[in-house]
Amino acid sequence: MKELTLELALKMIEAAERWARDIAGFPCSIAVVDKSGTVIAVHRMDGAGMATTDIAIEKAWTAVAFKMPTLMGSRWLDPRNMGKLLGDHAMGMIGRGKGRLCFIPGGIPVTDEENEVIGAIGCSGVPSGVGDISDTTVSQSGITALYE
Amino acid sequence: MMNLEVAKKLLQTGVQIAKEKCMPCSIAIVDENGWLLALHRMDGASIPTAEIARDKAWTTAVFRRPSSEVSEYGDPRTPGFGLNAQNWNDRLTTIPGGFPIWEGDRLIGAIGVCGGTPAEDASLCQTVIEEMSSMIENTQI
Repeated sequence: MKELTLELALKMIEAAERWARDIAGFPCSIAVVDKSGTVIAVHRMDGAGMATTDIAIEKAWTAVAFKMPTLMGSRWLDPRNMGKLLGDHAMGMIGRGKGRLCFIPGGIPVTDEENEVIGAIGCSGVPSGVGDISDTTVSQSGITALYE
Repeated sequence: MMNLEVAKKLLQTGVQIAKEKCMPCSIAIVDENGWLLALHRMDGASIPTAEIARDKAWTTAVFRRPSSEVSEYGDPRTPGFGLNAQNWNDRLTTIPGGFPIWEGDRLIGAIGVCGGTPAEDASLCQTVIEEMSSMIENTQI
């Protein structure tokens, strides 16, 4: 199993930062955690809100804890899904994980060649509802950098 | 002026020195209000070091003095007395290893290191700030 090192984490963060600055145009915070959910590196870009660092870390923690993107979990908490199979049990998730659980889209797990989760990347700071640009796409650009 | 670029250079310098010393550690940089700007945890640094480094940097920034000196705020007969019972912020720590970063007489941020002994952490902070002092002055507007 491959380990997520500081070097790899910084490679991901730098790429995501470039994408957020040049393409998305929103300053944001980007965090990478290892398979234990502990922070390896966080950067808060100039102009990003001060709360975004913690939210980025929480998204990455949630992604690694559930081994899936937080975008999927956010569907559980969507009140429009209440009464459906997807949304029935989900409100009980709010405030779990000692308050670290954060099902806002923007956290994506990082997997190795054997599809084992070795960490996660999280981003916060991009407003939702601006078309194809979101926290998730910033995080995705970080994941893409791993394969370059 | 503290920004991400300065923070990255401080972290690079810190990680470089820590590598030479074979001391895997976490280094946190916060802004003048104690909010996290950047944090790096080196390969091999244990899990709690990330949060403790951040706690040290926060304590340093908000008290505007090295985290080791914060204990002076307590009862003079028992340094640090009562600080841990204040309960107004669970980040408060009096462990050495946090140093303020000054630009002239203005506080622009703080650095926190955790990974070695408290004395090693403190000396790493000081070395980084000394090495970067020229750059911090250059960024003055």
